[in-house]
Amino acid sequence: MSVVAHLPHRTPTLTDTEAAHPPALELTGRRPLTAEERRTAETIFGEFRADGRYREYVLGCLNCGECTTGCPAARFYDFSPREMLQIAAVGDATTLWDAMQEKIWACCQCYTCNMRCRFGNDIAGIISVMRELSVRHGLESTRRVLAPFNRSLTLLMTVGTQVASDMIQPDFFRDWGPFAAAGEKSWDADPHLLRQAIPIDVLQTTTSSWEVSVQTSLELFRIYEEAGVLDMLRGLDPDLTEMLIDIIEERREEFEEARTRYHSQLAAMHGPVATFSG
Amino acid sequence: MLSAHQIREIVAERDARRRGTGKKVVDVREEMERLEEKGELIIHRIRPENAPVNVETLFGWTKRIPTSRLWHHKSCGQCGNIPGYPSALLWMMNALGKSYLNEPHQTSCTAWNYHGTATSNPVALAAVAARNFHRAYETDHFPLIHCGTSYGDYKEMRKLLVENAEVRHKVREILRKMGRDLVLPEEIVHYSEWVHAMRPEILARRTHDVSGVVATVHEPCHYYKMIPEDAVYDPEILGGQRPAVPTGILLALGARVADYSTWYDCCGFGFRHILSEREFSRSFANLRKIRPMIEEAHSDVAITSDTGCVTTLDKSQWIARAHGEALALPVLADVQFAALAMGAHPYKIVQVHWHAAPVDRLLEKMGIDGRAAKAEFVEYLAALKRGATPETLYPPRDEIEKYFAVNKGQVLPEEPASAASGALVAAVGRALK
Amino acid sequence: MNPVLVLGGGPAGLSAAAELASLGAPVLLVEKEEYWGGNPRRWHYSLLAPDLLPAEEVLNPLVSRVEGAPLIERHLRTTVSRVEPLSSGFRVELKGPETSGWREVSSVVLATGFDHFDSRRKYEYGYGRYPDVIDFKEFEGMIHDDRLTRPSDGALPKRIAWLLCVGSRDVQVGNPWCCRMGCAVSIKQAVEVRQKHPEIDTYVYYMDIRTYGLWEDLYWKSMNEYGVKFIRGRIGQITQAEGGKRLLATGEDTILSRPTEVPFDMIVLASGMEPGTGTKEAAQLFGLPVGPEGFLTPKLSDLNPVESGHPGIFLAGAATGPKAIPDAVTEGMGAALRAYKHARG
Repeated sequence: MSVVAHLPHRTPTLTDTEAAHPPALELTGRRPLTAEERRTAETIFGEFRADGRYREYVLGCLNCGECTTGCPAARFYDFSPREMLQIAAVGDATTLWDAMQEKIWACCQCYTCNMRCRFGNDIAGIISVMRELSVRHGLESTRRVLAPFNRSLTLLMTVGTQVASDMIQPDFFRDWGPFAAAGEKSWDADPHLLRQAIPIDVLQTTTSSWEVSVQTSLELFRIYEEAGVLDMLRGLDPDLTEMLIDIIEERREEFEEARTRYHSQLAAMHGPVATFSG
Repeated sequence: MLSAHQIREIVAERDARRRGTGKKVVDVREEMERLEEKGELIIHRIRPENAPVNVETLFGWTKRIPTSRLWHHKSCGQCGNIPGYPSALLWMMNALGKSYLNEPHQTSCTAWNYHGTATSNPVALAAVAARNFHRAYETDHFPLIHCGTSYGDYKEMRKLLVENAEVRHKVREILRKMGRDLVLPEEIVHYSEWVHAMRPEILARRTHDVSGVVATVHEPCHYYKMIPEDAVYDPEILGGQRPAVPTGILLALGARVADYSTWYDCCGFGFRHILSEREFSRSFANLRKIRPMIEEAHSDVAITSDTGCVTTLDKSQWIARAHGEALALPVLADVQFAALAMGAHPYKIVQVHWHAAPVDRLLEKMGIDGRAAKAEFVEYLAALKRGATPETLYPPRDEIEKYFAVNKGQVLPEEPASAASGALVAAVGRALK
Repeated sequence: MNPVLVLGGGPAGLSAAAELASLGAPVLLVEKEEYWGGNPRRWHYSLLAPDLLPAEEVLNPLVSRVEGAPLIERHLRTTVSRVEPLSSGFRVELKGPETSGWREVSSVVLATGFDHFDSRRKYEYGYGRYPDVIDFKEFEGMIHDDRLTRPSDGALPKRIAWLLCVGSRDVQVGNPWCCRMGCAVSIKQAVEVRQKHPEIDTYVYYMDIRTYGLWEDLYWKSMNEYGVKFIRGRIGQITQAEGGKRLLATGEDTILSRPTEVPFDMIVLASGMEPGTGTKEAAQLFGLPVGPEGFLTPKLSDLNPVESGHPGIFLAGAATGPKAIPDAVTEGMGAALRAYKHARG
């Protein structure tokens, strides 16, 4: 199927041959793509243009720059939402590939560009689509960018919260910690004790933002499986994915054990009960 | 300055034009009604027990804010590293006699991760939202969203579920596999909207004079830049030209709110950056927000209403000392500030020790004896270490809830015949055999 | 012969009335405001683009032609409240201080005009919040009356910016069309400022410059004769800087591809053109169709832009879309001719 056939709102004018090898802007000094990279780039380009969100998010551009005006990333990186939209709208496979190596990760997803855009584009959204593609295709650059997220991804996939207070360590996120304001001498505060001193029962844990019930985390994982998130993650990091499956298997066992343990008590409380299919 | 009446006219005009041409802005709440009629989803309605208060949105639409019988949709970041945020909110609900349910059968919205790493997709995000919504529904408590990103994400997901039949179908299938239905709440409500709606009650219980405090507001991007038409604006606050929350509560309490040039900027959180590219978040927060707040506005405190913003603005100042800059601007959530003004304990309830920027001078300005409070807290910690039972804002739940999404008697719906309580029995049934 | 009703006393309406009178037709000229001349008079337009002719030199002859014509019955502060069709022509009910009641007319020219966009609807520009953010229609009056001072403190500004397309070409406010005038008028204002005060620094922020046709000359001259500076890219937000002493315009210079932040003493917003209240009312009153933008739509906009498609109703000027004064005057003449032909039967 020709890539051109996927282009929304546009009459196919290129021949299939041209479409398969769209004119790429080869910048001076840029390493040419290997044959494999080029194949991936073209596959990604095709999927990008065929994504249902593309037509909805990329409408057109007057190049007014109001998106970049409020963009936090534009102040610190070689990045602008205006450029990203232009790449999304008129770029070819190679240009898209280039933008997906680094630029897409500069975006802060603050949505200021969307709120400002007088054409009604969803720029933050189209950047998310590019990011999803880079994850699904396991791009090397994406692996590098996301390497520091193993811990928070594990938390997120298994209990559905992003951070935990035990990530605050003397050598890591020290400045997030309690008593940081008072200086280093106070840093001996025991995190377990400080969590106990929070007057909310489910927050008195250090391993997750709050205690998430086992049933809830099993349901969450079910969502990830059914919605294809697990397959997506496998493309990025197969080892992590296997580990997550193991963790969930343990939680499932824990759930079964608890069910046996509590059976009579609950039957007394609520009468006969059905099976949880999670 | 314009009169409230003039502002209303301008808002009506803006609404009419935007809805009429170009980028169509539809009120998804109307579309939800149609889908419910067709049996495609269930609307979790606000009921009289929720004691709703009406407010206006950017387009002059009426939004109903339920003020009682609420289901706390906690924020992973707040609970993780600024726990005084939720505890101040729960404390305030106790103080104002509002009922709620806070339970472990909730996940985060997972949108921090999505906006940071994209290792998810719209179907998964929508299903996560719908699972939480259904859980709130079966407990017959209306969801109150603590986090700005969850709030924005849930509004996007609501829109997606309403407008995209394919996603709706997929999500419904997933939910059915775990015995749940597709439920969307009548309104997506942010906790700061609740605080806004409770201004008279909060003011009536104010114990500290805050008129000497100059505050700067950082407006959370995901509060008003995602699905902007649903954010709360008030013709009487900031000329109706900027969101009414969280500025409204500060003005109501009598604090002065100062303007500064980078008001519209984000905080620098960046979702990914705050965890793995911290030099960006730190630079942005200090240069673009904290410095103008101090130097232009001479503010005593930065007030915001979102997880990521408190985190970034607060925890980025510390590093500036490495550059010889003594930036020290306390950063609090609106609800923390309001709780302090109502006499909440700065450490035991507002948990200010989790904040990196020192708050001592602010407490002093508010007439709060921070030193005594800290001594009490250190004493409390010592007691806990000796094995004392932790004080909690509500009786801790039973061990069984670590596993199963059951409800204990005290939170069961009062009317056994209502549809929601039927759903609850089903939930218990589903969970166990 | 019953008179021809001309509704609206701006450039198009005045032109139509004068033209009809010169053809020997009786005219009933009705204007809801208390002056002749429409928006140009209301806002005290200064010099008119592109020839920099004082607005009075254009408006006054139009008004005096009308006032000097015995065939024209003129009513200010008067509106049409009801309309009924007759076998030929219409019965219209007038409401005003001098005349009220039903009148029979042979045909109608609608010259009901436009309104400037209310810049307060673009919240991020702080119009209505910050006194030194000025709408360009107000700025016309300021330069016309030679009072080029900052509203906040009465000082002469050192640096002024013009921001084009405020409320035009923007779906956020529901106005995706171009106002056609904003570029030329803003550039003209900058030129006027530079003529009187060469020491004032003037910047125009634009995304496209549409000084169409022969008006391009103004754009060129503004640069090479008057030193007006152009920045391609829009200001996205206006806030206060320097403790409220100046305005801070944050934008992107899209040629240099970088965000910019420039303090200004005054920022002038080129507000767009929307269908006028009178135009919206006339559409309702006469049951005429409007386009998606809310302007009246001629039946054949290419072949016969002055004909509504409804027998006996003719259109002129900005009632059908943004228009320059010469175009409005021309259409007034065209509509007059058609209305005359219709009235003669």
